[in-house]
Amino acid sequence: MKKLLASLSAVVLILGMFAPSVFAKDHADMAKVRGLHASPDAPAVDVYVDGNAVVEGAEFKAATDYMELPAGEHQVEIYAAGTKGSQDPVISANVNVEAGMAYTAAAINTLENLELKAIQDSMEAAEGKSKVRVGHFIPGAPAVDVGLVGRDAIFSGAEFPMVTDYKELDPGTYDLEVRTTDGTQLIDLSGTTLEGSKVYSAFAVGTADNPEVLLLEDSAAMPTSMPKTGFGGANDSNALLAATALGLAAMGAGFVIFRRRSEA
Amino acid sequence: MKKIWFPVTLGFLVFIVSFQLLKDEPAKEARVLSSSSPKNTEVTNIGTEWVKDDLESAPIKKNYTPATVVGENDGTGIRPDRIVIPSIEVDAKVQAKGYTKDGGMAVPDSVTDVGWFEPGTEPGRRGNAVIAGHVDGQYGPAVFFDLKKLQSGDELHVYDKKGNRLTYTVQEVVAYPVDQAPIRKLFGPTNKKALNLITCTGTYDKSAGGYLERLAVYTVLTDRTKA
Repeated sequence: MKKLLASLSAVVLILGMFAPSVFAKDHADMAKVRGLHASPDAPAVDVYVDGNAVVEGAEFKAATDYMELPAGEHQVEIYAAGTKGSQDPVISANVNVEAGMAYTAAAINTLENLELKAIQDSMEAAEGKSKVRVGHFIPGAPAVDVGLVGRDAIFSGAEFPMVTDYKELDPGTYDLEVRTTDGTQLIDLSGTTLEGSKVYSAFAVGTADNPEVLLLEDSAAMPTSMPKTGFGGANDSNALLAATALGLAAMGAGFVIFRRRSEA
Repeated sequence: MKKIWFPVTLGFLVFIVSFQLLKDEPAKEARVLSSSSPKNTEVTNIGTEWVKDDLESAPIKKNYTPATVVGENDGTGIRPDRIVIPSIEVDAKVQAKGYTKDGGMAVPDSVTDVGWFEPGTEPGRRGNAVIAGHVDGQYGPAVFFDLKKLQSGDELHVYDKKGNRLTYTVQEVVAYPVDQAPIRKLFGPTNKKALNLITCTGTYDKSAGGYLERLAVYTVLTDRTKA
């Protein structure tokens, strides 16, 4: 009877092996955050999140790619590069990020008035459309319009340190300019190509005398899942068959040995 | 008669042990099959370099992945018509494909053609262009059956209808559990002029009707030849 129980438990073991495996890792509770150094006179910086270095040596105009952070509150500390431990952070702030959202955290204004500005980013454009927004991060510069050269403004009256809402445009190549609200060109952006299904952020940075634009691509056309690229016709997973054959062979060998012993 | 249980149990044990040893364990983590860099490059960064800081004259350590910046050298794209991968003897027609009903990436019904993700980047431009093909059909191997044999450094060519040729070089070959495939890394913004090839790999799950892993071959543009 004991042996019968043992065999039953072996059957249970075998069944157990066919139970679907569950993948533990989950990206659903993560947020995306990227950093932008937009303070024209601030030194290169190191960024620490919850005490861990995530960005080192980011200079003025540096923008990082998105990094994944667990949703919730995090302590963000920004130090002049290489000074953690010897100097106080230039900025220390608590930021709260939500799962599934994307953010840009920008260090803006002059070094003296340095501040951290966090904005939420869009990760999706309508199919075949381009989505663009403009951020005015030039301390001391007047309000600006962004539009086609010599034509109507697409974004008007953006003031420091404001970021406009996203606008939907047709993809194409545009002769854009950043100009004061009275029409004086500040930055020439002729030949800017915007592609379909992409999201862009144009951040104006620098000083009133030396303004420039960082055009970042926030998102591109992405499917929600991976393509299905197989029907299983050439899958060589015949472990079950091989194992069964080996098992039967062992059983047969066992019988032979058993019989020989009883004959002896 | 009791002793009949000895060989039966032995048989079971051998079955269990050999099945455990033989079966394809569905991977729970990405497997790097080939890479041009010495370590797993799941995390790409611009490397650690020492640069002079303008303000302090001491060198500073630089270590972060830069954002995707739109620039003047984004390159011109082509509409791919044919892909040739000499090292695994692939020469296939490329179809332009979009989304499935569920928002996934559509692929050709054909097992000899491959699909280019048309809503995304054109090969040749800055960004991640994506071409996917079947590993097998109902009854045998398909166009990308040997994709897993690609090694970093292997070259492949993409042609448009006029015969303009782009040459890409393999950087890395990685297999991901399907629900952990990095869709943004494969399809999203990048500063590289990249072409990523995708096919199925790993164990075929009959109940789910699909493979449990995806193979990704990351390549970057290394040459252009005009027709």
